[in-house]
Amino acid sequence: MTEAVIEKGAAFAGAILVGVTALFQLKNDWAAQGLDALVTKILLGLMAFGCVLALLAALNVLGARA
Amino acid sequence: MATAVGTLDGHEAVAARYHDVDPVYAETRDLRLTGFILFLLSDCVLFSSFIFAYVYLRTSAPAWPPFVGGHQLPWFDTSFAAFNSIVLFGSGVTMHFALENWKHLNKRKFNLWLIATIILGLGFLLGQAHEYSVVGISWAGSTMGASFFTLTGMHGFHVFVGVCYLTILGIQANRGVYTGSKYFGLTAGTLYWHFVDVVWVALFFLFYLW
Amino acid sequence: MHAGTGTTHDAHDVHDHIHPAPEGFIRKYVFSLDHKVIGFQYFFTGVFLLLIAGSFAELVRLQLTKPEGAIMSHNAYNEMFTMHGTAMVWMVLIPLVTGAIGNFVMPLQIGARDVAFPWLNMASFWILPVAALILFSSMLFGGPHAGWTEYPPISLADGTAGALWCMAIFVIGISSTMTGLNFMVTVMKMRAPGMTWTRMPLFVWATFATALMNMIATVALSAAVGALFLAHVFNVPFFDAARGGSPVLFEHMFWFYSHPAVYIFIIPAFGVISEVLPTFARKPIFGYKMIAFSSMAISILAFTVWAHHMFPSGLAPWLQLPFMILTYAIGIPTGIKVFSWMATLWGGRIHYTTAMLYAMGFLITFTFGGITGIFLASVPVDLHMHGTYFVVGHFHYVVAGGAVMGFLAAIPYWYPKATGRLMSERIGQLSFWLFFWGLNGTFLPMHWLGLEGMPRRYASYIDFAKANPDAQFWNQFETVASFLMVASFALLVFNLLWSIKHGKIAGINPWGARTLEWTISSPPPYYNFKKLPHVYGRPYDFDQPLPYANTDNELDQYPEYGKVLMPIPTPAPVGAGA
Repeated sequence: MTEAVIEKGAAFAGAILVGVTALFQLKNDWAAQGLDALVTKILLGLMAFGCVLALLAALNVLGARA
Repeated sequence: MATAVGTLDGHEAVAARYHDVDPVYAETRDLRLTGFILFLLSDCVLFSSFIFAYVYLRTSAPAWPPFVGGHQLPWFDTSFAAFNSIVLFGSGVTMHFALENWKHLNKRKFNLWLIATIILGLGFLLGQAHEYSVVGISWAGSTMGASFFTLTGMHGFHVFVGVCYLTILGIQANRGVYTGSKYFGLTAGTLYWHFVDVVWVALFFLFYLW
Repeated sequence: MHAGTGTTHDAHDVHDHIHPAPEGFIRKYVFSLDHKVIGFQYFFTGVFLLLIAGSFAELVRLQLTKPEGAIMSHNAYNEMFTMHGTAMVWMVLIPLVTGAIGNFVMPLQIGARDVAFPWLNMASFWILPVAALILFSSMLFGGPHAGWTEYPPISLADGTAGALWCMAIFVIGISSTMTGLNFMVTVMKMRAPGMTWTRMPLFVWATFATALMNMIATVALSAAVGALFLAHVFNVPFFDAARGGSPVLFEHMFWFYSHPAVYIFIIPAFGVISEVLPTFARKPIFGYKMIAFSSMAISILAFTVWAHHMFPSGLAPWLQLPFMILTYAIGIPTGIKVFSWMATLWGGRIHYTTAMLYAMGFLITFTFGGITGIFLASVPVDLHMHGTYFVVGHFHYVVAGGAVMGFLAAIPYWYPKATGRLMSERIGQLSFWLFFWGLNGTFLPMHWLGLEGMPRRYASYIDFAKANPDAQFWNQFETVASFLMVASFALLVFNLLWSIKHGKIAGINPWGARTLEWTISSPPPYYNFKKLPHVYGRPYDFDQPLPYANTDNELDQYPEYGKVLMPIPTPAPVGAGA
């Protein structure tokens, strides 16, 4: 097992864990009002998107050099 | 935007969300929140300017990675960066939990999640230090190095400031500076931490996935 | 109990809270949190730096009295025009129009007791002397030489001085950004009850539009000079063509800020004119909404036209046309304003006070400068005119004839409010005429010299003088005319000082103006408003009673200024419990 495989595996597992949790929290907070809640929702959503990117990177779909 | 007697708007709506219904605090908080969001917007412009520079240089370069001294520079290592990114995104989620617990007046859990956030944040910084040591390009040697180290360095500096900020918030929270209804500092810290996270989403994509 | 949009305020909310008076000399005058004191501090510092930067300009003008250069080496000349431009842009103009006038007037006009973040305001001010010290210290290391734009790679030859220049600009950028943020939040959140957006005075609209640009654009400048600093100190190759970088990249990053910067200079001046003209024409401003929204339009469009400074630079050719068109487009909102101001004067009863003279002078000189800008917007014209005195003439007409003229109008207008005394009208009028003729005499000939090809930033113009025998005459003419401006500023400084002791007592509202600052005493108490006024109309309807209730000085509801007004029955005042 090369380092790259371990890192990718950890990234894959982590991406799912963190991404799902972020989306779950986003769902819970969806009804919250106020500017801070709005910004939090946007940023959580973007963070979940970041987890998607990391997931795709871990699967060599994106960023496989190229 | 006309208001009839008895309806809530603006400052009253803000005040009503707070258990203490303290309109003085509510107004101050409103000002500070607006100011803080505008600050984050201006910070966005800072990163955007350097991202523009990077995109400009990369798209106008004859080859990427560029050639330096006859040799083409190596690409970055995506797998380690993906792992480090998850460390940082994870810290964003833990910070969210920390703030949630504070709002539900659970100080013990707040502390646990905050410490987890700080550890993950430091972990990210260590990961970046490792990345800098193995990346094989120099700051001054090429536009690739110039843009990479400047942008990730600025980001890393923001993470470092964030870690310090969160530490101070933790100390202050435990000294009773914040209450169940007056905790704007914690809100601001969380927003800042999420912002730093999202900037990393952009940088991760631009340097490692593009 | 509610007056249109806006909010009711209970007696115990933060807007109504009056904090205790500051005590001690340091707290009152040095590290003051009071926007009025901070405004004074910006004013003194800015005017002091104006005199220094202006004397550099005089040295430049003296040099040009002879084609071979009259008084200094080429190196020293380059340093002079670089320091003149740098100091004027960042240490004089922006601090004076935003920090001095904006700080003093805007919170009073919205009926607030201070800005949103007073401590940040104080910190923003104190950055200015620090930045100025850093900038001027660069002269000890030879000084920067590449013009206020300091393009790499030539600016990299400046060494330590160049790095210090970058540091100074970066530092002052922090001040501008913080001020922009502060003013935006203040205008958005701290207006008096009943003051909706479309009841705000036009100077407040101008301050808001400027603050938006200040907050967003200055950060881009910090990035540009930050990258240049890294090039100086760490050899980072963003702009080094040999290592894959690009000097044009610097121009993009620099001008993305520096074009909005010129609107940052001028829009507060537009705001001042929009206040001064109605007051001294005794007529409502024509086209309030057009002027307000055009300020916002300019503030957004300002970010889309930067490359018109780069037409001959090696810019991608396909970019020239869009930027040309956008540059023409941005002239439109400004043109709307100019026509609205002229319509404001039409049919009015004009009072030729000093402030009014400056405002009317502004209409002439700024419009002229704006028109030459339209010439330069055309790519074919610009390719010939870029780097010539035509450009120097253009921007001095809009900056000196626009921004500075607006600032000079603001001084006699608000000095009575700030100090309680009127400035001397006689000295003021003389100052105006000296400035007006000095400005035109100095900068008008630059247009034909530029058309004939006289290059800018040249310490000597021997070749040009051989081809144009009258070149020396016009340069000498400009130099002599520039001393009229020097005299004007000397008189201004004298007037400022003399009027403190000997000016006529101003009273609450010497001009019969209608914005909120004229409902409180001159000078205002530290807390500005004892009772927060309630607003239920715009401030420009000169034959109506003031659209305020609950003001501190009920007796001054009806401004006289030579005309007795019969009070018209008003609706029940807001908050009276009706």
